[in-house]
Amino acid sequence: MLADLLQNTLDGLAAGASYALIAVGFTLIFGVLRRANLSYGPAIMLGSYAAAFAFQNYGLGLIALAGICVFASVLAGAYVERLCFAPHRKGSAIAAMVASFALWMQLEEVAMLVMPKHLYAFPPLNQGGPLDFAGFTVRVEALVMLGAATAVCALVWWILYRTRFGLATRAVIESSRAAELSGISVPRVYIGVFALASAIGGLAGFLISASFEQVTPMLGMWSTLKGLLAMMLGGLGSLPGAVVGALALGLLEAHSQWYLGPQLRDLIAFLLLFVLLAIGPRWMTPSNG
Amino acid sequence: MDDYLIGVLTNIGLFGFMALSAYLLLLAGEMSFGQQAFFGVGAYSGGMLTAMLGWPLPAAALAAMAMGALAALIVALPTLRLRGLYFAMATLAAAEMARIGFELLHWQVVVAGEPTGPDGTQGFRGIRWVFENGVEPGTYLAIIWTLLAMVVGLFIAMERSRLGAALRGVGEDPELSASLGLNVIRVKLAVAAAAGALAALGGVLYAHHNTYIEPRNFDIMLGVHSLAYALIGGLGTVFGPLLGVLVDIGLLEGSRVFQGYRMIVFGGLVALLLMVRPRGLLDEGTVQWIKRRFS
Amino acid sequence: MSALLQIKDLVTAYGKIEALKGVSLDVQEGSITCLLGPNGAGKTTLMMTVAGILKPKAGAIAFAGHEISEQQAHAIVAAGIALVPENRLMFPNMTVVENLQAGAYQRRDREIGADVDKLLVRFPRLKDRAEQNAGTLSGGEQQMLAVARALMSRPKLLLMDEPSLGLAPLVVEEIFRIITELHRDGTTIFLVEQNAHMALKVAGHFYLMEQGKVTFSGDPGSLAEDEVIKRAYLGSAKL
Repeated sequence: MLADLLQNTLDGLAAGASYALIAVGFTLIFGVLRRANLSYGPAIMLGSYAAAFAFQNYGLGLIALAGICVFASVLAGAYVERLCFAPHRKGSAIAAMVASFALWMQLEEVAMLVMPKHLYAFPPLNQGGPLDFAGFTVRVEALVMLGAATAVCALVWWILYRTRFGLATRAVIESSRAAELSGISVPRVYIGVFALASAIGGLAGFLISASFEQVTPMLGMWSTLKGLLAMMLGGLGSLPGAVVGALALGLLEAHSQWYLGPQLRDLIAFLLLFVLLAIGPRWMTPSNG
Repeated sequence: MDDYLIGVLTNIGLFGFMALSAYLLLLAGEMSFGQQAFFGVGAYSGGMLTAMLGWPLPAAALAAMAMGALAALIVALPTLRLRGLYFAMATLAAAEMARIGFELLHWQVVVAGEPTGPDGTQGFRGIRWVFENGVEPGTYLAIIWTLLAMVVGLFIAMERSRLGAALRGVGEDPELSASLGLNVIRVKLAVAAAAGALAALGGVLYAHHNTYIEPRNFDIMLGVHSLAYALIGGLGTVFGPLLGVLVDIGLLEGSRVFQGYRMIVFGGLVALLLMVRPRGLLDEGTVQWIKRRFS
Repeated sequence: MSALLQIKDLVTAYGKIEALKGVSLDVQEGSITCLLGPNGAGKTTLMMTVAGILKPKAGAIAFAGHEISEQQAHAIVAAGIALVPENRLMFPNMTVVENLQAGAYQRRDREIGADVDKLLVRFPRLKDRAEQNAGTLSGGEQQMLAVARALMSRPKLLLMDEPSLGLAPLVVEEIFRIITELHRDGTTIFLVEQNAHMALKVAGHFYLMEQGKVTFSGDPGSLAEDEVIKRAYLGSAKL
């Protein structure tokens, strides 16, 4: 019993780490632009598809694939930023969001046209098998995921609190008007934040695809749902909250799945979100957008 | 009229109900990512009543609308005070719960020797009332469009009435409306129920057109599409959302020109259009202009 | 000699409503110029337009001979204009020092750190709170911080929108003492004020603005002070 509990906890944390990467990207964009980017998941998927394509046709190694994933996601993110967010910076938040779901549909179809199969192979992160540690099975992928999530969080912290760009970003998060008056170029901060968020998303996509050794067209929708769930569970707009929310989601899912199966697992996650939204006073403040 | 055209026009009508459902909530100032749940509730309940219990379609449709309204109230009551992205996420969560609910729904009875009823992820086949009662596709199309026209008529009547003004007031400035004596909560609940019934009506008609439904039909993409139709068509008039549906299903899918890359075109079109018309094609300003030109 | 800041026939609108209906005024280099007028006259709108936050519908703004009405806010800071906004607009969860560093964002030189130190010396109350979050400061301290932040960009023209708003009289005096010091050190100051009495004591020239237009231009003393005060609070109402 205890062994199961611990095993599920380990697995849950690993899954949570992957959600954390996605949620951090979502939250960076929401925290700075105050708008939800619904094309974030599809941009991640395009990154993984580009890597899968490269793998299939050129047989490249993991590092190169990771680079392609990140690069393609950043490119897709830049496209979304220019088309959906830059034009509406001082305008309607809803228009930005609708445009982002229009591009969501567009990007999904692009991926499916270029690579029409339902499944594409992706090289594994770890050639060897899982590690056996005091009776628990620890997948190397899980350790890599946790390590990556920790490293990314540290990197984001360092950028925000130890760089000039980070200062500008925090300023825009607090008050974009005050930032403008201080001489900070808000459009440039948006571009930088988008690039950072997309890069993190690309990395997440790479790690997830390599962990499962496959890429499917569902990756876009899946990333969007997990990212949004984690972000909302952790408190909209808070980076530490996104990480906590993501880990909590991973743990919740792992334990629910063990006792109740996969469908109820998802149901419980949505139910939790619904209940939290319905009751928590924190959540009742109107969002901007 | 050839079968293909009838099919396209039928789809426009069916998704028109969804677009109008999203539109109604938008008028009241709320953005819902979850109307597909009520579309599904209408489809499943209507289908179950006709295929499993032998009800005639008109009665089943009314019952389905009631179920849709009820489901909408269940979602709306706890989420009344939420706004913006928080409300949208709550509706998303509710809709996904509904979809998973459909995946878990296994209930079959034997009808004429065949097991009939929803079978979880395998879907629900045999919703054949329309065919068994000799309703031709052309006739069914006429029925759908007549109902849609009636709904549009109701919208137009509402928009001219005090109810319409109250609705827009609540949508634009709830605090002000409340201070003017409007019971904002009651308005929002009424709107939610009506929108749920509307989506459910679309759902029951959809189920009987397709004869087969599965939980996947009622996923987020349907909800997001409907919202997009309303927002791109414009919120100035009830014809806005219908225009949105027309552009996507009518123009793009129907014309078959963009086979395989319809979403690429539609998605790009929407994003570009929003740059020049952030409030949609038939937004309030355009509608006023049109009214002045023709008065 | 042409003025440092020349505004000609400026029109700024919010949608269909014109808040500025053709404003023309000059700010001479090295002066303290004051803009007075009742609430709703458009003074803040004017400040925001000069600072580049709002885009004018028509008219021209020339700064040191260059047209700036089309430029973005950060470029205007780089050009040498800094605005101390109404309501101060702090970064509440950033420290005092970080707020100051943000003000220097357009600068690429190495003296930013030295400037931070100098300003902390000049504003001793800020020095006490250097590592505290700006949100924990009192109203007066926040106003000092807003002024200091604007000074970090080494502006040639300092715009100030109601610096005395909501502050205790002693603090108001301190603010105006700082304004006088800055003027003496060579900064041109364009000041919007409700406190006409204090403003007229320091200003070399003043304008009255009502309902989106300039209605009076003159030196302190060219109009009786009580007349000025009346118009500043109530406007010259046509009965």
